[in-house]
Amino acid sequence: MDALHVAVVERRVAALDVAAALDFVADPRFGGIASFIGRVRDHNVGRVVTGISYDLFVPLALNQFRAIAERALAEVGAPLKLWIAHAKGDLAIGDVAAVVAAGTPHRDEAFRACRLAIEAVKRESPIWKQEHYVDGDSAWSEGCSLCGDDRQFTHAHSHAAHGHDR
Amino acid sequence: MKMSIALFGALREADASGTMELDVPAGSTMAELRELLVAHLAVQAPQVSAGLVRRCAFATDEEILHNHREVPAGVALAVLPPVSGG
Repeated sequence: MDALHVAVVERRVAALDVAAALDFVADPRFGGIASFIGRVRDHNVGRVVTGISYDLFVPLALNQFRAIAERALAEVGAPLKLWIAHAKGDLAIGDVAAVVAAGTPHRDEAFRACRLAIEAVKRESPIWKQEHYVDGDSAWSEGCSLCGDDRQFTHAHSHAAHGHDR
Repeated sequence: MKMSIALFGALREADASGTMELDVPAGSTMAELRELLVAHLAVQAPQVSAGLVRRCAFATDEEILHNHREVPAGVALAVLPPVSGG
């Protein structure tokens, strides 16, 4: 890993900084930068959403982000700079919930590293999303169970039923 | 032994303090700890579904502890409902 930045950012303190992520992964050797920006949208599964609260187990999340980065590095087999950041707390519609940026010599490596990282953040990291609806109701998203012994690395099960398709 | 367990996500509704204590026999596995938690919550927080608890993982600050692992002594644990980041 040429450079790695992992962070959990409390929304009351700051917004996630996309420009800083792109700067961080830039390098004279790198011709490809891929990024993923997850934002809070105004609907889910037919319901009008007014905001999302994110709960995180921060020390384990940061540990997981570092482990994900190691897997991304092994997967792309090329020089890599990676930024993984997730927001915590109460987010409004349009707020940035997650930022992943990957810089590599070529675009294919950048896309692959970025995709691997965001999918692992969504499916394996200790992060919980509570949606708030226009009718005043709130609900925790169903999510992916982490209790299968091998699941975090193999992902043999289907995610289609979970409805967490941001 | 008394284990301190931090609560996250939907399980925060089980105790407003954000943590709970559970008495666990030394040498128990994580799978046994989960069943003790199911029984404890059935009494203390009946609004939490047993099905949700059975889909939860446990972890320390550093790693997820899978079912076959022994409950570590003297370490604070966290109970992790199914995750939904991003």
